[in-house]
Amino acid sequence: MPRYGMVIDLDRCMGCRACMEACKIENATTEGHFWMNVFRYEEGEYPDVHVGFLPRPCQHCENAPCVKVCPVQARHQQDDGLVLTDFKRCIGCRYCEVACPYGVNYFAFAEPEDSYYLDWSDPALESVTGGAQPPYRNPDLDVRHGPDGRLVAGDGHYGGVMTKCTFCVQRLEKDLDPACVANCPVDVFTFGDLDDPESEVSRKLASTRTFRLKEELNTRPKVFYVGTPPGEDTRELEPVSKGRE
Amino acid sequence: MATPEAKRRNTAEYAYFGALAVLTAVVGLAVYAWFKQTTVGHVLTGLDDATPWGLYIVGFVFFVGASAGSTVIGLMIHAFGREDYAKLGTRAIFVGFLSLAAAMTNIAVDVGSIPRMIQLPWVYHNPTSMFFYTSITYYIFAGILLGELYYAVKLTKGTASGRDRKIAKWLSIAAVPFALAILHAPHGALFAVVKAREFWNNPLLPPHFAVVALVSGTAIMILLAVATNKWGKTEIASPKTLSHMGGLLAFFLVVAAFMDLFDFLVFTYSDNPTGASAWDVIWGPQLGFSIVHVAGYVLAIGILLFKRSDVRWLTAASLLVIAGVAAYRYNLVTIGFAQPLLPFQEHVQYWPSRYEISMALGIVALIVLSYLILVRVIPMEETGKARWDAGKLLGREEKPGAGEPELQA
Repeated sequence: MPRYGMVIDLDRCMGCRACMEACKIENATTEGHFWMNVFRYEEGEYPDVHVGFLPRPCQHCENAPCVKVCPVQARHQQDDGLVLTDFKRCIGCRYCEVACPYGVNYFAFAEPEDSYYLDWSDPALESVTGGAQPPYRNPDLDVRHGPDGRLVAGDGHYGGVMTKCTFCVQRLEKDLDPACVANCPVDVFTFGDLDDPESEVSRKLASTRTFRLKEELNTRPKVFYVGTPPGEDTRELEPVSKGRE
Repeated sequence: MATPEAKRRNTAEYAYFGALAVLTAVVGLAVYAWFKQTTVGHVLTGLDDATPWGLYIVGFVFFVGASAGSTVIGLMIHAFGREDYAKLGTRAIFVGFLSLAAAMTNIAVDVGSIPRMIQLPWVYHNPTSMFFYTSITYYIFAGILLGELYYAVKLTKGTASGRDRKIAKWLSIAAVPFALAILHAPHGALFAVVKAREFWNNPLLPPHFAVVALVSGTAIMILLAVATNKWGKTEIASPKTLSHMGGLLAFFLVVAAFMDLFDFLVFTYSDNPTGASAWDVIWGPQLGFSIVHVAGYVLAIGILLFKRSDVRWLTAASLLVIAGVAAYRYNLVTIGFAQPLLPFQEHVQYWPSRYEISMALGIVALIVLSYLILVRVIPMEETGKARWDAGKLLGREEKPGAGEPELQA
């Protein structure tokens, strides 16, 4: 059984947000849901200013606080280390979102049909859509995955449930890398089996100095970063829309 | 021609039905708001992914606290032998049950799926979750309160046997540690175990919750006693009893204020990012709540120490306390999110939407409405025989002819 992990090289990231776009398309995430979010930030004072980028997927913590607090085990951890939400079991209490130190959870505040950027069925938008059909939805999202056969992949299933990055569980089952990894133009991401010493991710971890976000909380994330962590006096640039504004 | 007494009764009846009409209208508005939220989604609330808990959770912790705190009356009667509290006994249990129902209603409107929520803890469970643990305690506490209510009504009606009286006594005594240590303190733990939110991650929060529960429960019972004395058929708490309740409230309130003071002191002194963010919100956008909290406590302590024998001052102090506790709960829940999770993010101020406010008011109206209706159905006033039963319950001398009504109401 593999134990999936990811290394993100901040020194290579140019903040193009192609990974965010790939994630949105692959997982059909709704408006305001950024399972992969690339934060753009600056620190320092003119003329000594540094601009940085921090891609932030779910950290798939080994000691995941969201898994601990979920009252119904909708948020669960598979043997391969993936931390997933069972959409058929989630009661929408948002305790996982409260407990997560990384802000990776996105609640479905509205029903899926009202949550996408464009309502393709709206007659008023026909001049924009040209009467086109709704966009393609990945059929892999609507089937059950994992050893327990749970509905865990993709977004847009129900309103009132908690959603987040799944490391593209539906792609992993086909031996494909997550969409963000596959679509990065500058190889920021290295993904693979942390327990396999010959995997690319293990070799990278062995040869490079890395850090993890908020290590002091002992959540033991399986996402590792190469480069310099953002300091305390950083300021966010061009934040993505929360979809609720 | 109607006598002054008959006129007073007529006016009271008009006021009663007028109050029912107003409360029903508020509940109706809340039902509409709930219907809209159910069909459209939580997008109608002021919540977002930066502040996932808001007014509903504030209402939830306030009412769980009030429910737990109302058990103090049973403690006074059964553990301290205060017979003068006996007439408040059934009402206190009833208030505890309705407050628990209000807390559950707040949770029900907060979660994304009510049908799935009610499967907790029966179908789905996670032993490491404080929420799972607290969900069990609601059912047990509701069972204790219903049991207490059953036996209290039997006592009130004068149909209780010796065994019933023993059960009533031990249920009332057991309810207190259960309510404070097993039910409400873990609600503090619900927040305190969240290490991602440093503002809450504090081992003193669970005992703090238990103390605040006693504060709000006692204040509600004082208001209820004053209102029943004024508008009810009989006096259920003498001025001396009310003054004693005021003394109790003062004691609980001083302990709560002491804990608040040191919370403030530690956060201010440490000057860490979480403390600074909390400080910015407490004395910034939520200054109004902070003033109600601090001024409410301070003024109430002053009144309770020096003027609690005067019913009007006691009433004012109890109202200030309830407002102060509500403001404390509001700040506690919402300021937990003041510190952004990543260093470059900015705090987004949460304000409840009109749908949340409608539902919060509607839940309060619903329990007041339920109380006003059920108080006429469930016997709360003791008959003469039941007065004798209360004496027996407290270990007084047994009179011959047990079971026979020998005193008239």
